[in-house]
Amino acid sequence: MGHTSLEKIIALQKKTPHIRNLCILAHVDHGKTTLADCLVASNGIISSRLAGKLRYLDSREDEQIRGITMKSSAISLHYTTGGNEYLINLIDSPGHVDFSSEVSTAVRLCDGAIVVVDAVEGVCPQTQVVLRQAWLENIRPVLVINKIDRLIVELKLTSQEAYTHLQKILEQVNAVTGSLFTSKVLEERAEKDAEAQSSCTENGSGDQVYDWSAGLEETDDSDLYFSPDRGNVVFASAIDGWGFSIHQFAEMYSQKMGIRSSVLLKTLWGDFYLNAKAKKIMKGAQSKGKKPLFVQLVLDNIWSMYDAVVTRRDKEKVEKMVTSLGLKVMSRDLRHSDPKVLLSAICSQWLPVSQAVLSMVCEKLPSPAEISAERVEKLMSVGARRFDSLPEQTQELKKAFLDCSADETAPVIVFVSKMFAVDSKALPQNKQRPLTQEEIAQRREQARQRHAERQAANQSAENALCAQTEALSVKTAVEEDNKEHFVAFARVYSGVLRKGQKVFVLGPKYDPSLALRALPEGCSAADVLPSVPHMACCTVDSLYLLMGRELEELDEVPTGNVLGIGGMEEFILKSATISTSPSCPPFTPLNFEATPIVRVAVEPKHPSEMPKLVRGMRLLNQADPCAEVLIQETGEHVLVTAGEVHLQRCLDDLRERFAKIEISASKPIIPFRETVIRPPKVDMVNEDMGKQQKVAVIHQVKEEQTKYPEGVQVDSTGLVTLTTPNKMATVGVRAIPLPEEVTRLLEDNVELIRTMEQFSLFAWEDKTLDINQKILENIQEFKVKLESNLQGRKWRGAVERIWAFGPRRCGPNILLNSVEGYRRPSVWQCLEREKETEKAEIRDFDNSIASGFQLATLSGPMCEEPLMGVCFSVETWDMKLSAPLAQQDSIDEDSQTAEPNIDNQNESSDTHETNAAGSSVDCYGPFSGQLIAAMKEACRYAFQAKPQRLMAAMYTCEIMATAEVLGRVYAVLSKREGRVLQEEMKEGTDMFIIKAVLPVAESFGFADEIRKRTSGLASPQLVFSHWEVISSDPFWVPTTEEEYLHFGEKADSSNQALKYMNAVRRRKGLYVEEKIVEHAEKQRTLSKNK
Amino acid sequence: MSIFTPTNQIRLTNVAVVRMKKAGKRFEIACYKNKVMSWRSGAEKDLDEVLQTHTVFVNVSKGQVAKRDDLSSAFGTEDLTEACTQILAKGELQVSDRERQSQLEHMFRDIATIVAEKCVNPETKRPYTVILIERAMKDIHFSVKANKSTKQQALEVIKQLQQSIQIQRAHMRLRFVLPARDGKRLKEKLRPLIKTVENEDFTEQLEMVCLIDPGCFRDIDELIRCETKGKGTLEVLSLKDVEEGDEKLE
Repeated sequence: MGHTSLEKIIALQKKTPHIRNLCILAHVDHGKTTLADCLVASNGIISSRLAGKLRYLDSREDEQIRGITMKSSAISLHYTTGGNEYLINLIDSPGHVDFSSEVSTAVRLCDGAIVVVDAVEGVCPQTQVVLRQAWLENIRPVLVINKIDRLIVELKLTSQEAYTHLQKILEQVNAVTGSLFTSKVLEERAEKDAEAQSSCTENGSGDQVYDWSAGLEETDDSDLYFSPDRGNVVFASAIDGWGFSIHQFAEMYSQKMGIRSSVLLKTLWGDFYLNAKAKKIMKGAQSKGKKPLFVQLVLDNIWSMYDAVVTRRDKEKVEKMVTSLGLKVMSRDLRHSDPKVLLSAICSQWLPVSQAVLSMVCEKLPSPAEISAERVEKLMSVGARRFDSLPEQTQELKKAFLDCSADETAPVIVFVSKMFAVDSKALPQNKQRPLTQEEIAQRREQARQRHAERQAANQSAENALCAQTEALSVKTAVEEDNKEHFVAFARVYSGVLRKGQKVFVLGPKYDPSLALRALPEGCSAADVLPSVPHMACCTVDSLYLLMGRELEELDEVPTGNVLGIGGMEEFILKSATISTSPSCPPFTPLNFEATPIVRVAVEPKHPSEMPKLVRGMRLLNQADPCAEVLIQETGEHVLVTAGEVHLQRCLDDLRERFAKIEISASKPIIPFRETVIRPPKVDMVNEDMGKQQKVAVIHQVKEEQTKYPEGVQVDSTGLVTLTTPNKMATVGVRAIPLPEEVTRLLEDNVELIRTMEQFSLFAWEDKTLDINQKILENIQEFKVKLESNLQGRKWRGAVERIWAFGPRRCGPNILLNSVEGYRRPSVWQCLEREKETEKAEIRDFDNSIASGFQLATLSGPMCEEPLMGVCFSVETWDMKLSAPLAQQDSIDEDSQTAEPNIDNQNESSDTHETNAAGSSVDCYGPFSGQLIAAMKEACRYAFQAKPQRLMAAMYTCEIMATAEVLGRVYAVLSKREGRVLQEEMKEGTDMFIIKAVLPVAESFGFADEIRKRTSGLASPQLVFSHWEVISSDPFWVPTTEEEYLHFGEKADSSNQALKYMNAVRRRKGLYVEEKIVEHAEKQRTLSKNK
Repeated sequence: MSIFTPTNQIRLTNVAVVRMKKAGKRFEIACYKNKVMSWRSGAEKDLDEVLQTHTVFVNVSKGQVAKRDDLSSAFGTEDLTEACTQILAKGELQVSDRERQSQLEHMFRDIATIVAEKCVNPETKRPYTVILIERAMKDIHFSVKANKSTKQQALEVIKQLQQSIQIQRAHMRLRFVLPARDGKRLKEKLRPLIKTVENEDFTEQLEMVCLIDPGCFRDIDELIRCETKGKGTLEVLSLKDVEEGDEKLE
C-alpha cells in the first residue's frame, strides 16, 4: 500500500463514523511499539521489512537506546475494509510503570484500546493497571495475545500445550476484568445500600429486610469478557509480522470443509473436535483425548510452518507451502541466510497482523459518534460533583457530546490531555521544503548583494561595524529558533476546530456556574469579557496532524479526531479544556495511577546558571504530565517524579532540552526537630533505672565537667542560672517537655498565634487591630483546648502565663513566665479587650528575654535544627541595674511609659555621659544584646540538662499489594525503620492495603526498592504526616553492667539518633565527635629506611 | 660508643611530638599521629591509643628520657601517666596532616553554612543551599585560613561571591518611629542607607518600614539615637527577609 496522502486523511477526518481513536496498552516489553510498527508499515510510512525493528513511534533518542517507550505518541492511519475506508488515530503508550501518567493521557483521548499480552509472560502487573485504567475511563478494550512465536521457538511447546497455555492467559485476563466488574457492582451496591439505609432511618420503619445477594447475578457482564469467538481477540507475533483472529480461519475452512462459517466461528475456540469419519464437529475434545479444533486447524499449521522455515529449514517443503497458500515470495528472501526474514516474508503475506488487528478494531471498537452517555457524564462532572448539579446550560452540552456533529453550529469542545515539547525544527512551518524557481532566483540575488556589501565593508571600518551588528542579529534569530515549542495533545469532542478561531481555554479548576454568572448571555470568545478565574481567551494558532515524530499542518479539524494544537503554551499548563462555549465544564482530571514520589534536589553545576535551571524546570513541568517541581524554603529546587526511570528522563530533558546546562541531582535535605522528654524509667536493656549501680566510666566524669562552662549553675532539677558577662542580670530557666497534644495543637493553630502576636504588637504601641468575631472565637476555643491539655500541678495557670511562642513567634514551643512578682500582659489580651481593668506593667528588657528564647528555639544545641514541643519556664530574673540606666532603657523599650520628667532627666544625663553610657542606652545595644545572648545560652543549657531527643519527620505510606508479595513489603518496611499501622483487605479484590509510617530520612529510594522487590505488584504512596520522637538517645553510652554485657564497651551497634544527628552536623560543618583515625597503630608508617 | 643493632633499640615511627616547657625544663612525649586533637576534643577516650609509650622525654628524637627529679618538680608527681596527660592537655603540638585537613574541611563547611544562612538570591528572595555555595566557593578558589574566625571569613566570601553569582545579604526589615520635627531632617540622612522603603506614614510622626543591608544597621541605629536624642524608636521586624514556605513552580 502506498503512502496515504494528507488530502486523503483530511477527507477521512470529516467522516466521523469511520474514525477510530485507539491506544495500545500493555505491560512493559509486551510488544506495543512493535505492533504499532506493523500497523504503521501497513500504511507504507515505513518499510515492512523494518517493522518491529525500527520502533517508529519511539522518536526520542533515549527511547531508542533503552528500548522502552517513554511518552505517548499518536499517528493517523488509513485502512480500507469491505469498501469502507477508515481513519485510525493510533496512540502508542509506554508500558513502564513510571510513565503510567502518559498512559492516562492517551486513554482519555481514545474510544477503544488494544490490550497487548505477552503469550509467555501472561498477565503482568501493568496489564492489570491498564485494564483498570481502560475500565475507569469507560473505553472498550480488545485483546492481542502477542509473541506466540516465543511459544514455538523458545519454549518449544507443542501445539496442544500452547493451546492450553493460551486458554490460561485468556482466563487470567478475564479474571482481571471480572474483578473490576465485581468491585464496581459492589461499590454501586454499597452506595445503594447507604441510600436505602438513610431513607430507612428517615422513614423510621422498624423492620429491615436484608438482601444478601451481592447483586452480581442481576447484572450482565458477558459482553465484557474477551473470547476469540466474539472476535475481540487476535493471536499475533508482531515481530514476525503475522496475526489472526478466528474469523479469518473460519472463513478459510468453511470453503474447504463445507461447514458453515458461523458454526466454525463458534466451535473453533473451545472444547470441540472434528470427527473425521462423521465429518461433524463434536463437543468434549479434552475428555476424549482428541485434538481441539483450534489446535488441529489453526495452531498445527503455524507450527508446521515454523518447523519448516525456522527449525529444519526444509526448502522444498517451504516452497510447497508457499505455493499451496498462493503467496509470492521474492527469491531474495528465499535465499536469505536468516530464516526469520523468510518467515516474516511468508507470514506477513499469509496472515498480515495489520489486517487482523485493524479489521478487529474497525468492527469491535466504537467510533467517536457512539460515545456513551455514561462516559459523557463522567467526563463532565468534576470530582465528587454530581452531573445533575451542573448548571443547565452545561447539561445541555451533553447533547453536543452525544451528537458529535461537525456542524458549524455545534459548540467546539476539545480536551487537551498533555503538552509536549517539539523542536522548532520539527514544526512544519520551519521545515525545509524544495524551493521554487523564483525563490532560488531571489536567494541568488540576496547572496550577490551580500557579497557586494562584504566587499564594500572591507574598504571601510564603519561597514565592518555594521556587519557585526548584522551578525549579532542573525545570532539572536538563531537563538530564537532553538526555543522549545509546545504542542497540545488533544482531541475534538464536538464541533470543528479551525485555525484562527477564538476559543476559551478552561483550566482544570474552572467552574462554569461561576463564569455563567459573570459573563453576559450568549457571549463568545471574540468579545471583550471580564476576567473569570481559570479561564482565558485565545486564538488557535496552528493545528497539526500527529504523524509520530512528524507534524503536518491542518486548517481545521472536525469532531472525533486526535490533533496537536500549537501556540498554547501561554495558556495551558498541563491539561485543559478548550471550548467556544463558556458553559462547558472542565473535564474530570486525569486519574493517574502513579503519583510522583521520588524526590531529588536539583542544582546547576555552575551556580551562576541558576536562572536557566529555574526556566528549564518550568518548561519541564509543563511538558511532563506527572513531574512536579518546587522550590523549598531551604532554597532547594526539588524535582518530584514517578520513579527512577522517569527521573532519569526528566534529568536528561533538563540537561539537553529545557535548561541546556549541566546539573546534578542529590538527596534532598531532610529536616529534623529537637526536643526534650521526661527522664526515661528504663534503660536500653529494659532494666529499671536507679536500682543498679553504675559502672564508673572515666570519660563520663570528664564529660560532665566540660558540658557546662564557668558561670553556669545547674541544679539537680534542671534549673539553669546564668549571669550576663557584665554581672547586671541573672536569669534562671528550666526546660519542660510539652505534652504531645499541646504540641500538635500549637502546630495546627499557627495562623491564630500569628494573629494574636500581631494584636499584642499593635497593643504595645497603643493601637488596636480589629479582629473579626470568628477568629476571636477560634482563639477562645484554642485557649480552652490548651487549658484542658495542660492539666496537673505543674501546669497550674500556665496558659495565662504564656510569654511567647517560638521560633518565629508562632512555633510549637512556649516561653512561660514563672518569675515571682512579675505580671506582664498576657498573649491572650485580644480576648480580654473589654475587661481590661488593670494594666500590667511590662518590665524593661522584656523583649530581650523573648528574643533570646526565639533564637534558642530556632536552632537547638544538638544539630542546630529548630526545637519542638519544649516549654522554657523563666523562674528567676534579677536585674542589678543602676537607676538612670534602667530608666533610659525603659524609654527606649517602650516610649508609652516614658513620663515627661524622666524625659528631662534623660536628656540631662545624656549630655553628661554620652560616651560612657551611650552604647548601653540603646535597647539593641550591648546590654540588651548581652541579655539576649544570656537568655539564649540559658535556654540551651536548660535544654541540655534534660534528656534530649531528636524528632524525625514521618511519612505515612499507603501500600497496595497483592497477597503474595506481602512478606516482601514488610521486609522492605522493617529494613527502613518503618512501622506498620494497619493492614486490611480491599473489598472485592485480592489487594491488601497496608498503612505504615516511615521516617523521611529513610524514604529516599524507598518507592523504587519496594517496586523492585515486589516486581511492581506493590506501589507505595508517601505523604508527610507528623513528627515523631526517635526513642534512642543520641548521647547514650552504656553505663550499667547489663548494658555493657549487651552492647559492649564502645556500643558501636548503630544508634539511629546519633547517626542522623552526626549526618546533619557534618552537613552543616559543625563539630562532629568522631576520631579522625580509629586505630592509631594501623596508620601507614612513613619512616625512612633505617 | 653505641653499636647500631636492631635488637636493643626501640624505634618510634609515626611519631607526633607534644612539647611543654615547665619549671624551666623542656618535656616531650611521643604520641601517634592524628590522635592528639581527638584526645583534646574528647572523642578519643583511650590513652593507649594516643600515647606511644608512657614515658616523658626530654628529647623524643634522641630518645632522652626526662629525669625523675625534674618531673616531680614540674608536675608535682612522679607518676608518668599523670605527667603525660598534663602534657597532652597543655603542651604545644604538631598538627598532623589528616588533622589539619579535617579541620580545614570543617571550617570550609562552616563558612559555607554561614554564607548560606545570611544570604539570598536577590531575584527569588530565597536562600542558596550550602552545597551550591560550597561549589561557588571552590569556583572562585577560596582558601580557608585556619587562624581567622569563620564568621569573618564568611563576610569576605560574600563580597567575592557577588562577582560570580547573584547573591546578596538577606535584608533586615526595620521599623522606626521618629518625632515629626526630626523626621524630615533624618529622612534625608537615612535615605542612602536604606535599600527599599516598604511603608511610610508621615502624619504626626514619621513611621517607616524599610529593608536595609544588615551591615548598615549600626549606622542607622547610631544616627537615630544621636539625632533624636533617644526619642525615636527603632525596631527590628525580621532579621532576615526571605520567602517562607514552599513554592510550586508553574
